[in-house]
Amino acid sequence: MYNLLYKELRLAAHPNLFVFTLLGALVIVPAYPYGMVFLFGCLGPYITFTYGREINDIYYTSLLPVKKRDVVKSKVALVVLSQMAQLVISLPFALLRLRLLPEGNPAGIEANVAYYGFGLMVYTIFNVIFLTHFFKTGYRVGWSFLWAIIPATLGVLLMEIVVHFPQFAWLDSVEGAMLFRQLPILLAGILVYILGTAIAYRVSTKRFDIVDL
Amino acid sequence: MAVLSVKGLTKRYDNFTLDGVSFTLQPGRIMGLIGKNGAGKTTTLKSILNLVRADGGTVEMFGRDFLQNEQQCKQELGVVLGGIDFYSHKRLSSITEVTRRFYTNWDEQAYQKYLDMFELVPSKKVKELSSGMKVKYMLALALSHNAKLFILDEPTSGLDPVSRDDLLVLFRELVRDGERSILYSTHITSDLEKCADDITYIKDGKLVKSADKGTFIESFQYLRESGEDRPLSLEEIMIRTERRGYDV
Repeated sequence: MYNLLYKELRLAAHPNLFVFTLLGALVIVPAYPYGMVFLFGCLGPYITFTYGREINDIYYTSLLPVKKRDVVKSKVALVVLSQMAQLVISLPFALLRLRLLPEGNPAGIEANVAYYGFGLMVYTIFNVIFLTHFFKTGYRVGWSFLWAIIPATLGVLLMEIVVHFPQFAWLDSVEGAMLFRQLPILLAGILVYILGTAIAYRVSTKRFDIVDL
Repeated sequence: MAVLSVKGLTKRYDNFTLDGVSFTLQPGRIMGLIGKNGAGKTTTLKSILNLVRADGGTVEMFGRDFLQNEQQCKQELGVVLGGIDFYSHKRLSSITEVTRRFYTNWDEQAYQKYLDMFELVPSKKVKELSSGMKVKYMLALALSHNAKLFILDEPTSGLDPVSRDDLLVLFRELVRDGERSILYSTHITSDLEKCADDITYIKDGKLVKSADKGTFIESFQYLRESGEDRPLSLEEIMIRTERRGYDV
């Protein structure tokens, strides 16, 4: 597993994957729709998968002493690593903005507990559709991305819009009590992400197993 | 024990079927897999390697079922897919650094030896290598993990005559000690006249014949036309077997 991930990072990952992962820091921008961060977390894997097709990465991996399903494992691990790294990178900036910009984000949701819960759900929507669609063929990246990014974007829009309604104002808060109230959304996000990624992996391996390279 | 034993390999596409191909490769031998473009050579090799999922048949490598023992078999396998560039913007040193981690038998000293022998510069990027050097790099990797079977798909296609001859000499050297074997697809039959021990001929997805080179050539001498007294070459055998008429 470690070797597969090392191969992904050293040979298969497009430089933009690292750039988009670093964009977790965008939550320090005073007024910005922070939901964009999650879409960047989807864009990075898309560019890397496209790049992987051009450099024949799947072919090379398949010829190494690994099972065919390890090709899927390798890619899923890279996507999860980049998205989790993006969230971890964003955390100190989310804390920093509480001190530097206490007046809040006028453009959309705050980088609060609910935000991270929604973000994990957005990632899950993208991963499940993108990965399972891509591994039907091992090369159709563009369509897979299109099918996945539309519902993921709708999810982000929903999150950004809903916080403008007074009855959902608690979702936009960074006060202690409200953050506690948001906790179930984060827990639901974590659960959905774990389950969704596991399903995406299982379905993708089944599909990729019968793909002719 | 055979290094590679393929039995009844079948793969069905909408407009093409690889139909029950069988052959056996013994240690220390070079087998040429011949056939015209589209005959099924690459499908055969990809089916053997599980890159393409076969609809029927079995592949035994080093006496083990390949599908059941894919990882172990690949530890002793070297593959060169001609015309496919891997990681063209990466340096050889980066690719090697990743690749060596996957092989339990990786021999760094041997790798350095083959780099020198093939005049490969680790700091060069794949895109900076000629086609012949790319093949040599893949061979260097395979030799460094002590591969016993080399599966090469059109490794000499597109190379100039000097580079081709250079590789053919190298192939003969590889099998000289009797421990390594090569299965090598090509439509350049003159290459096989120089270096192959066995020939497997596929036509329209079906096995025509698989035998040692002498027996193979002998079995097609019935194709000689009246007045011809010299033996037919592999190229003539292929052309006469494949020739068809046009009623325009």
